[in-house]
Amino acid sequence: MRYAHTQGIMLGWLANAFFAFLYHAVPILSGRRVTSARLGVWIFALWNFAVMLPGWVLVLAGVSQPLEWAEFPIVVDVVVVAVLALAVVQFLPGFFRRGVESLYVSSWYIIGGLVFTLLSYPMGNLVPEFLPGAAGAAISGLWIHDAVGLFVTPMALAIIYFVIPVATGRPIFSHFLSMLGFWLLFFLYPLNGTHHYIYSVLPMAAQLTAIVASALLGVTVVIVVTNLFLSMRGAGLLPRDPALRFVGTGTFFYVIVSLQGSAQAQMSVNQTVHFTDWVVAHSHLAMLGFGSFAAAGGLVHAWQRMPEARYNAAAITWAYWLLVVGLVGMVVDLTIGGLVQGELWKSGAPWIDSVAASRVYWVARAHIGSILAAGFIALLVGLTTGPRGGGMAVRPAPAAGGHDNVAPRLAPATEAL
Amino acid sequence: MSRTGRALRMSYLVASVAGVAFFALSVALLGMWPARVLDAQTAAMAPKHPLEPTTSEKRGRAIYAREGCAYCHTQQIRYLHADMARFGAPTLAWETRRDTPQLWGTRRIGPDLSRVGGVRSLDWQYGHLFAPRAIVPASVMPGFPALFAGAPDRPRQDARDLVAYLDSLGRARELAGPEGEAHAREGCNCPDDEMAQMAFEGPLNASPARARRTSEAPPALAPNGDRARGTQLYAEHCATCHGPTGNGDGPGGSGLVPSPAKLAEHEYATERVSAALWHGVAGSAMPAWRDYSAADRAALAVAVQGLAAVRPEPDVPAHLVPLGQQVYAANCVQCHGASGDGRGPAADKLPMAPANFTAQRLSLTEALRVLREGLHGSPMAPWTTRLTDAERLAAAHYVRSLFRVAAPAPAEAR
Repeated sequence: MRYAHTQGIMLGWLANAFFAFLYHAVPILSGRRVTSARLGVWIFALWNFAVMLPGWVLVLAGVSQPLEWAEFPIVVDVVVVAVLALAVVQFLPGFFRRGVESLYVSSWYIIGGLVFTLLSYPMGNLVPEFLPGAAGAAISGLWIHDAVGLFVTPMALAIIYFVIPVATGRPIFSHFLSMLGFWLLFFLYPLNGTHHYIYSVLPMAAQLTAIVASALLGVTVVIVVTNLFLSMRGAGLLPRDPALRFVGTGTFFYVIVSLQGSAQAQMSVNQTVHFTDWVVAHSHLAMLGFGSFAAAGGLVHAWQRMPEARYNAAAITWAYWLLVVGLVGMVVDLTIGGLVQGELWKSGAPWIDSVAASRVYWVARAHIGSILAAGFIALLVGLTTGPRGGGMAVRPAPAAGGHDNVAPRLAPATEAL
Repeated sequence: MSRTGRALRMSYLVASVAGVAFFALSVALLGMWPARVLDAQTAAMAPKHPLEPTTSEKRGRAIYAREGCAYCHTQQIRYLHADMARFGAPTLAWETRRDTPQLWGTRRIGPDLSRVGGVRSLDWQYGHLFAPRAIVPASVMPGFPALFAGAPDRPRQDARDLVAYLDSLGRARELAGPEGEAHAREGCNCPDDEMAQMAFEGPLNASPARARRTSEAPPALAPNGDRARGTQLYAEHCATCHGPTGNGDGPGGSGLVPSPAKLAEHEYATERVSAALWHGVAGSAMPAWRDYSAADRAALAVAVQGLAAVRPEPDVPAHLVPLGQQVYAANCVQCHGASGDGRGPAADKLPMAPANFTAQRLSLTEALRVLREGLHGSPMAPWTTRLTDAERLAAAHYVRSLFRVAAPAPAEAR
């Protein structure tokens, strides 16, 4: 089941949500349509029926790679790379039409995310299949972080940078900080991966590089998030627009999870929390709190602008609160559980004591999991029921909206330099 | 195009090149370079002729990977004293050189398995794999009955392969022995690298559950074990195999060979229970319980002694006393020793230590049963063809008379 879970979240839910958002954002950002509608059908069909379906069927039938976040077998990996290449063809050409100096930061993230995923996916999914033991682990470690850092993060940030200015009606606080954050993220993320193997036999220089890069990454994220929050100023802690609320909360979780990541990569923290539920809490905060909140915000935002889309405002509000409660509950629960496990391991108590002590946290987690599931069901209901075009009615300032008026707010604002 | 535009375009170009370069740097610095270092390390430190995995072990590895064992069990002992105290020496690069793809894992719900080989008996592994909670009640591990033909002692090939693989974990380094360690230390050539030196500190396999065959006395137990605590611990950890009343009929014990001791049919000296808890019983599925505190082990000893079924045992008929001595001297001393302490001249050659009658007294019924049926899975054979009923009865009485330690009055304690 676990094989299906990680791949399902990353490739099944997030990737599909990201692709869906790109169809909304790319035409607006690049000022021209995506390359081909027919190609879009192909990407959708291949991704869901040639990647997700066979991937799940195969891993549940026992044909898989025993590598975390890279479980789908090689034959599926090949299709993934092919579809990613098609996605590059589908979404990116429009960006280069007017020259890179006029690109908005979301466009940069979309370009970076697609291109670097195309590079890192084969590295992380194919290479470790052929490298033994520790050397393979080194590459796996890189991929685990690249999957989050070079795929989920750029796509999520592309959404956040897109939704905030459109929904607030004001340009981003500083284009300079946006671009600084963008490049620092792409410089630093790939250098993080080895922090999954601290205190291992991997060369100490590599471990230390990753530890330092992890600390610097935390600083970078603070820059990015400061810029985002400054752009949201005035919207309040709990914006009325649910899309803005989703991305704002996702941004908040982003800074928390990143600072937590910087901290747990440090040797003194890592030796206690590594291998425990603390890390499971961390990955849920990243993939669910940051990635999924941004993705949900992006979808809701797009739905509000499609006259033919059904939209159930009450269900979306429910989705937001269920997901917030579920996520916070799960992260707190597993973080405490992880600390209990780490301390019991260090104390030399019998192993089974740590299992028995964890039981209460796992039972809690199972219940919280049903809240999260309810949240996602509510999101599904919110986007599939209700009146057609219902989203357009709830937009906070419909008069100022409209695609034509969006462009200036998404301009790179070079004059700020 | 303005000058700012041109400058921007240039700086973006530079940044793009740098971005790709950083990614390439990450792969080179954190992926490829470590691989080279580790290859060199493996070449320098691996034993000349390490034992290769068998076909069955290779298949078992594939099953381990397929079933997702690595999601809850790591195979990487870190360079940390807490890890080393629990599992043993940190994992060296050469030990996983055949591990493609790697199975290091990132989460420990169950214990690390890098050095599980030799820690548990194979039938313990089968029983545990079939139904983990039948043996370890608090376990959250799923059972794998599909690998068996209906019962833990009827493993299919997949279960045999998987258990063979588990039993091979850590073996290569263990078999390399002190020479192998010396060679690795020399190959490491790192006398000043404190962390690297940790790989050679302490015992190779530190599992507190690993049974040891030794006559070394276990650390002394606290004098007054807490009986209530002992009863609770017994129910949590021992009753699964030894049965709730100590009749050896727990669900986890059904597939074990030899079957779990019938504690209720024995009076035990405290040191005997203490030794079984500290060293385990090598050659059986009984693990050691060294990770339990002296107070807990003392409590358990009291609880185990309290299980002895107290019933009036018949006195030895006078004419059987010399016969018993005679039968024992003629047939039993080779293994059980002249004084009954289990240290006969042949004892060391046996896969299991013979019973020490000075520290444990069987009920007459149990002694007769063992003489009649033997102990399946142990070197103790049935004696029905060699001894008459009267001789066996005499011998049973005789071994009972060898008990030298008075257990702390079980009748009173209960």
